[in-house]
Amino acid sequence: MPINYKTGIINEHKNVRNHSGIFDVSHMGQILIEKNESYLHKLEKYIPLQLKKLIKNRSHYSFLLNKDGGVIDDLIISNIDIKDKSYLYIVYNASRKKEDEEIFISCAPNAEKIYEKNCLFAIQGPDSINVLKNIIDIPNNMNFFDILISKYDNNEIIVSRSGYTGEDGFELSIPNESAENLITHLLKNENTMLCGLGSRDSLRLEAGLSLYGHELNEKITPIEAGLSWALDKERLEDENLNGNKVLSDQLKNKLSNKKIGLISTSKSMLRDGMTLFDNNNNAIGKITSGCFSPNLNKSIAIGYIISEFNTDNPIFCEIRKKFELVRINNLPFVKKNYKKNGSIYE
Amino acid sequence: MGAYMSEKKYTKDHEWVSIENEIATIGISNHAQESLGDIVFIELPAVGNSVKAKDEICVVESVKAASDIYAPIDGEIIEVNNNLENDAAIINQDAENEGWIFKMKISDSNQYSELMSEDEYKQFLEQ
Repeated sequence: MPINYKTGIINEHKNVRNHSGIFDVSHMGQILIEKNESYLHKLEKYIPLQLKKLIKNRSHYSFLLNKDGGVIDDLIISNIDIKDKSYLYIVYNASRKKEDEEIFISCAPNAEKIYEKNCLFAIQGPDSINVLKNIIDIPNNMNFFDILISKYDNNEIIVSRSGYTGEDGFELSIPNESAENLITHLLKNENTMLCGLGSRDSLRLEAGLSLYGHELNEKITPIEAGLSWALDKERLEDENLNGNKVLSDQLKNKLSNKKIGLISTSKSMLRDGMTLFDNNNNAIGKITSGCFSPNLNKSIAIGYIISEFNTDNPIFCEIRKKFELVRINNLPFVKKNYKKNGSIYE
Repeated sequence: MGAYMSEKKYTKDHEWVSIENEIATIGISNHAQESLGDIVFIELPAVGNSVKAKDEICVVESVKAASDIYAPIDGEIIEVNNNLENDAAIINQDAENEGWIFKMKISDSNQYSELMSEDEYKQFLEQ
């Protein structure tokens, strides 16, 4: 997947916000795990959900957790039937394939890495439903984080209403041999275009969504990352879950750091790794992701600061040895536009 | 006699330099703007500063990354392209003309002759 295609990151970004864009995210991990009781029990050591109780044809945002409750990876886990057999379908980060698959295979030796034979495309933006209409059968009552099996070229494909841009959209897992046909077919619609990694990052940042390796890593728990809504609270009482004590303590006590959104007050770009200061030159935190926001026409960032810092006071970001004032902004920066009905997302 | 206008030369840092009456005009090459992608901000250098070749003197920010601009030769900054303050994307549209960044009064014209010609720069890009 390139950083951008011919018309550039900003144009791709705006096309997704206003119309639709297609991301080839085939580099991501996709695995199918049979829903067998012993496999699910083993996976529940790492995944903070009640896997046996997952609703059919729904997706959930979740994690793989290490012994300290730190995030090994963040992932989307769904419950679907394929040819009368019940599966967990998990989509995970390309950068974490090795770590994740070690866990998946240790819990379920016959887990099937379907990214070896399936491409994954994300069609994102308010017009996505119209781009897919007449090409793939999408029921009217399909909501954000619903998932189902559909057909293209007589092949079964996995269709979920989801994405990573804050917009309505779909992700299609489709056998490699049909992938090129599908993309050519979709691109006949003038409202859509191919989009790259650059706009994928600026879109997810505007939507306030976390990126593994930036907001998330093995030393940060989902609670510290402001993602406690994604944890099944009953599971925090379960000794079988990695880091359950750390996590339930964190829920009850004050955290040492908090995640914040920031907007630049100058034209300088906020970037990953920059240090944040109070007005007495004390370091109070760090930026974990920063970019130019095409929607706000300013630089925006996500970072962590120490919890005791009173956010009524000014915050400065060190940019090329100068201190520039930044403003706290609630996440997300751009309102999410999901089609939902009792979605677990937010 | 018309003013002496030299050929445009290039640096290994993907900047172009043209000289007219001992005044050098400097910008980034078309190749540089293409690889930076959408340029959203430029921090212009301060007029009046004396600089040495290879000094970092200002920064171009694209959606992808911040990129330093170096002085190609010794001299004094005498003018900056203020149009870029409000619309840095001019560099994307016309890097080697309207997208000029700053002008210098140069002190050593030998440094200029050592820079790459357009053909040499093209070969350099192919390496």
